[in-house]
Amino acid sequence: MKSLPTARLNRLSTLWVVTTLVVSMLPQLVSMPFHLVPITLLPIVWRLIAEFRHWKPIPMIWRVVATVLAVTALVTTYGGLMGRRAAVSMLVLMLSLKLLETFRIRDARIVTSLGLFLCGTQFLFSQGIPMIIYIIACLLSSLIAFMYLQRCEAFSVLGEEPETNRNLLTELGFGASLMALALPVGMTLFLLFPRWGSPLWGLPEDALDARSGLSDSMTPGSIQNLFMDDSPAFRAKFEGGMPNNRDLYWRGPVFWNFDGSSWKVSYLSRNLPADNKPDPKRAFFRYEVQMEPTEQRWLFALDYPALTPRKTKMTVDYQLIASRPVTRLRSYTMASDPNFQDSPVLRQTLLRAALEVPSGFNPRTAEMMSDWRKEAKSDSEIIQRALQYFNRQQFHYTLNPPLLSRHTVDEFLFDTKEGFCEHYASAFTIMMRMAGIPARVVTGYQGGFYNPIGSYVLVRQSDAHAWSEVWVRGSGWTRIDPTAAVAPERVQQGAVESLDQRRYLLDFEWLRSARNTFDLFQRGWNNWVVTFSADRQSRLFSIFGWEFLGPAKLVMAMAGIILISGAIIFLLVPMLLKFRSSKKPDPLLRLWGKFIRKLEKAGFVSHPSMGAMELAANAEGQLEYKGDLIHRIAELYTLCRYSGKTGNEAELTDLINRFQIRSVS
Amino acid sequence: MVTVVTPLPGKSLTNIITDRIKQRVRNKRGPMTPPFELVYRHIFVLPTKFGWGFGVMLIFMALGGLNFNNNMALILVFLLATIAQLTTLIAYRNLSGLKIDSVYAEPVFCGEYAHFRVFVSNGNERQRFAIQAGFRQAQDCKDFKLNSYDSFLLQRPTETRGWLEMPSFRLETRFPLGLFKAWSWIFPQTRCLVYPAPAKKAPPLPKTGHGQSGRATRGDGDEIHGLRKYQPGDSIQRVAWRASARHDELYSLEMETPREDACELDWDSLKGSDVETRLSILTAWVVAADHKQLSYSLILPDTAIPVGKGDSHRSRCLESLALYLL
Repeated sequence: MKSLPTARLNRLSTLWVVTTLVVSMLPQLVSMPFHLVPITLLPIVWRLIAEFRHWKPIPMIWRVVATVLAVTALVTTYGGLMGRRAAVSMLVLMLSLKLLETFRIRDARIVTSLGLFLCGTQFLFSQGIPMIIYIIACLLSSLIAFMYLQRCEAFSVLGEEPETNRNLLTELGFGASLMALALPVGMTLFLLFPRWGSPLWGLPEDALDARSGLSDSMTPGSIQNLFMDDSPAFRAKFEGGMPNNRDLYWRGPVFWNFDGSSWKVSYLSRNLPADNKPDPKRAFFRYEVQMEPTEQRWLFALDYPALTPRKTKMTVDYQLIASRPVTRLRSYTMASDPNFQDSPVLRQTLLRAALEVPSGFNPRTAEMMSDWRKEAKSDSEIIQRALQYFNRQQFHYTLNPPLLSRHTVDEFLFDTKEGFCEHYASAFTIMMRMAGIPARVVTGYQGGFYNPIGSYVLVRQSDAHAWSEVWVRGSGWTRIDPTAAVAPERVQQGAVESLDQRRYLLDFEWLRSARNTFDLFQRGWNNWVVTFSADRQSRLFSIFGWEFLGPAKLVMAMAGIILISGAIIFLLVPMLLKFRSSKKPDPLLRLWGKFIRKLEKAGFVSHPSMGAMELAANAEGQLEYKGDLIHRIAELYTLCRYSGKTGNEAELTDLINRFQIRSVS
Repeated sequence: MVTVVTPLPGKSLTNIITDRIKQRVRNKRGPMTPPFELVYRHIFVLPTKFGWGFGVMLIFMALGGLNFNNNMALILVFLLATIAQLTTLIAYRNLSGLKIDSVYAEPVFCGEYAHFRVFVSNGNERQRFAIQAGFRQAQDCKDFKLNSYDSFLLQRPTETRGWLEMPSFRLETRFPLGLFKAWSWIFPQTRCLVYPAPAKKAPPLPKTGHGQSGRATRGDGDEIHGLRKYQPGDSIQRVAWRASARHDELYSLEMETPREDACELDWDSLKGSDVETRLSILTAWVVAADHKQLSYSLILPDTAIPVGKGDSHRSRCLESLALYLL
């Protein structure tokens, strides 16, 4: 049955449609480039004013112009439409522009549905606990919008507004009860719906926002930026023993190449596989890492990783490099052997790379180091001397080091003497190389917050750190942390606590500790919901003894479940409903019906309107020879039916059953 | 109330299919005799166009969520899918248990819309929202509170005189989200009497009274009826002085309104026209005579209705005109 195709929106549904759209846009609006926000909001505001001022839709040509302008602004901002943020921003902008022509129910339904789609895309960027509130808000407002749209459509046949005397509370109650009713089945589907072990298509590599994290180069200031960022990098839950806080060195990108200003990952180290891996059996620490997406390929582990997670390789300098960027929360089991001896013998190519110093940079340091070399008897003496140098001279560990120009190491060592961990690591490594000791820079995280309730370690971006490793003949690569020589508290307490200054206005100790404690919920959410995957699902099924279900069998099992439950729904439910809806037929009436059928067989025509005695009188006339019997039956029936006394049923049954008529034909 | 009734749609494929299904349902269920309660087997549920579109969108969202193993997106999809599924039940419940008490239609003249009223009552089970009624297109929409009743107005154009059988109509609801429609076909046994269309340029009413038209009404009037003894209160101007002088008594004039001619609306007086034209002229006469509050009689080849006036007389005449030779 069709309703009017021209059905127009009423005010109530317009307001709810706009609300849904705005709610679903919120996270995107917050993370969009700032100048795109007013462009996105403008059509929404126009539509709201149009609603109250009864404006007409603007002409097509202007809508096209507005669209072209907005898309141009978007493309110039993002430099194209590649990448998730740009694509979702495009969706948001188009939806907002769609409001310019949303005056009909059909358009409003499209807008609201796509608002839900937009809500789905937002989980590509974050699946944190606040998003639960977001999902609820989106669902609630869209359900209410759909409800009012339906109402508006239904009553459009009358050409008048539907009567509505509902308030916000009943509206929200309506949405909430729908959601609450759907929750059990929805969650069951979530757990049981077959998952794909591996994706059919991948995410674009630039998918996430310019997310902070360690990257494949280290320039002065890069870790310092991370220091401002309190978002979690990963969480690690230890089975059994846990190292001291000062030994929590989470290994990430390792740098060999220095070009005078920045450190770069070398092709060689990235592509050579590890010669000799630590024995997992001897690995002392075992832990499960739940890593936030980074858009980079490094996985983090304590020195030295003994396990290689799936689709990951271990390089010669013990970086764990995944085959694809980590674009979503990833969990892996890890074991580390802190006593492992890293490359007691170093091959020539690597030795050369670990000694390389760009020429024409840092002459003062080079001079000092050649002096030290002459004076020293062994490599370890030079190392000790360098550390003492940092410790004894007036070096400062600070968040705001002065800018350095061409000779970064010279200026840092002799002039400014203020720096962050990356300055120290970089300078130390160059010093070592200039003294002829192979050295490299390792970046990663140091320390972490131990959450006693969840008993796991939370490592935040602000725990990012850089240190050095030097190669000593016989004992291999050895970790040296020059920052610890200057500010030992950095390593013992963590980067944020070791500074006196506040990083930003609301940077309070109690706030940080509260946030660290509440991270517990986020971890649980991640653990139970966000990282639920095909693996986890098969582990769940194994509880029921379906341990060896591959994806194909899983699909078959699902199909079976659907078939069985479908059969139940389609066969059993109708039966139940039928049973409920139709009352049991009255036995007396059935008996009477039988009698009438017998009469009709003999050619008698009965009408539903006839009463029992009337029918009998008619039948007597037609079938005279049975007249008395018919009369008696009708009398008995009337007695049973209306007298309220019992006792005549048996005779009636008997008479009717024995009633026989010869066919008249 | 603005009601748009479009002409009957032509034989499109969907209409043919719908008609087939309707026919089958009708054969199975038979016509309904009110009061009639909608129960499980009367109600069908299918997605609407919007429902299909929404389903396709959900499939795409699920594909994306599964591919990226994005669990919150999947939760959203599964919740939406379950809610959508749930609305089938809600739509069904919105219709089930509704009781059709009666359906009736006032007679109309051909060319006017036949108005069918469907009286529906709701028990104390639940409130019902946005229930539409219509033949092919929805024509009316109502909410039902607990223990309430209301009527749907369904309209149908009329093309010929005689009985117009009310076609089957549907009660439909897309409550709550418009994703699914639940509907029920109802096969009423109601018919609407369609009188012939009154002729637009009918000849004037024939003034051929035949004696049975009764007496003139006495009282104030223009013509003199007779004399009677003067009674106090009679107007002095009505006193018949001459007669009074002759009889030593006061007489006053009794006045009367002249007797209207009863018209005789006779089929045979309309020679040379075809049946329908004659019927429509006779109809126009009946309407005109009734309007002027004249008494009239109607003579058709198969019936003769004696002189009379008033609503029931009018209906009787119009009915025999409507059903002439049918």
